[in-house]
Amino acid sequence: MSGFDSSADLDDEQATALESLLLRLADDEFVLAERYTEWQVRAPSLESDLALSNNAQDELGHARLWYDVLEDLGHEEHELIYERDPDEWRHSTLTERPFDEGDWADVVLRHYLYDVAEQLRLESLAESSYAKIADRVGKVRSEEQYHREHAESWMERLADGDEGHERLQNAVDRLFPHALTLFEVAAPTSGTGDASGDEPRAVDDDLEETIVEAGFRDASLEALRAEWLSIVVPYLEDLDLETPVSEIVHYDDYDLEVPDDTLPEALGRDGTHTDAWAKLHEEFTHTYRELERSEATTIMAHPE
Amino acid sequence: MNHDTPDDPDTTPCAYTDYREGEAVEELPATGDDATGLEADVWETLYEIEDPEMPISIVDLGLIYGVDVEDGVATVDMTLTYSGCPARDMLTTEVEESVVALEDVDDVELRLVWSPEWTVEMVTDEGEDDLREFGLSV
Repeated sequence: MSGFDSSADLDDEQATALESLLLRLADDEFVLAERYTEWQVRAPSLESDLALSNNAQDELGHARLWYDVLEDLGHEEHELIYERDPDEWRHSTLTERPFDEGDWADVVLRHYLYDVAEQLRLESLAESSYAKIADRVGKVRSEEQYHREHAESWMERLADGDEGHERLQNAVDRLFPHALTLFEVAAPTSGTGDASGDEPRAVDDDLEETIVEAGFRDASLEALRAEWLSIVVPYLEDLDLETPVSEIVHYDDYDLEVPDDTLPEALGRDGTHTDAWAKLHEEFTHTYRELERSEATTIMAHPE
Repeated sequence: MNHDTPDDPDTTPCAYTDYREGEAVEELPATGDDATGLEADVWETLYEIEDPEMPISIVDLGLIYGVDVEDGVATVDMTLTYSGCPARDMLTTEVEESVVALEDVDDVELRLVWSPEWTVEMVTDEGEDDLREFGLSV
């Protein structure tokens, strides 16, 4: 597989595919971090508060690394975060769901489901043909490696008690369908391709094909989803948590089958989002708009 | 605040007291010790910039991966210890402004690089002394 050292080496289709891959990555990390920060000074213990705040900081750092790669394609970070229309965001709906007050099991389960998927995704990007992605994956993976361990230790602790177990089961019922959207095919943004207008964009299977064919990612979404299911479903079962997934046994082998109607209505990846997204987006862009900014401020423009 | 929580017999001390050393990378840390002329001046300037949280030069901390000056344009390859580093803008701005303030440097291009990833192995011997004096165990 030949590599791409810069965006100048990409044809239009590849550029659109790369943009789509990067937006999924960056938007997931950014929106999840936004939600995590809601737990600051509200988590059940000082240690868990620090740990989750730290995860949020990690995810913001990673979002920033990926928005920075998007600058190769003519974007700018402040424009992507503060000026982009909410329908143009491509994160999974798992990351945007609001928390019920004090529902720690919700954030623990979300954290677990997301970070298993994140590990698999980063693995599939480690040898990316786009040099700038491959160069950054090592740093990100080294910072992500505690995330899953942290989530699992809390999963097991909560599942061990009656109330915790019940709360976790409720969270599985609510969030599992949204987690599946992590592996849904994305729709291109309105600024790309030859279609125009304000109509929602159709998902584009060709885009996903190009991502794999160009070697930006070396596993298909379908393969990533199958691998994710093979990890999370048995793990949840061991904790006596029920999922909508059923095992279909063929002799000594088995398949995990997800009923077709499990997916939520809004998939995130295609630009449709749950109601909670509009409010969250409004919140984190509020100050930028109120101050009539056209660029993001830096900490120190002119250090003395 | 509830102080009645019974001691959990399964509680164990924090497992992460052990900071991984990371892999040593040949050519790094870069210190510019064989640089000459204007490039040596750039290195000298970078040596004077300290980490915002610890009394250690960013060169000794191993953040600078390379310096190149051509036709008055200085290119600095630099990394950060952590991708979510809150001092990022502060540090990169300080590097850019200090380097461009050098006579004969007309412009500076700072390239943030993430590979090879920074580890404690990138700290120079002098840097380790500074960190020990500060009270860190390295």
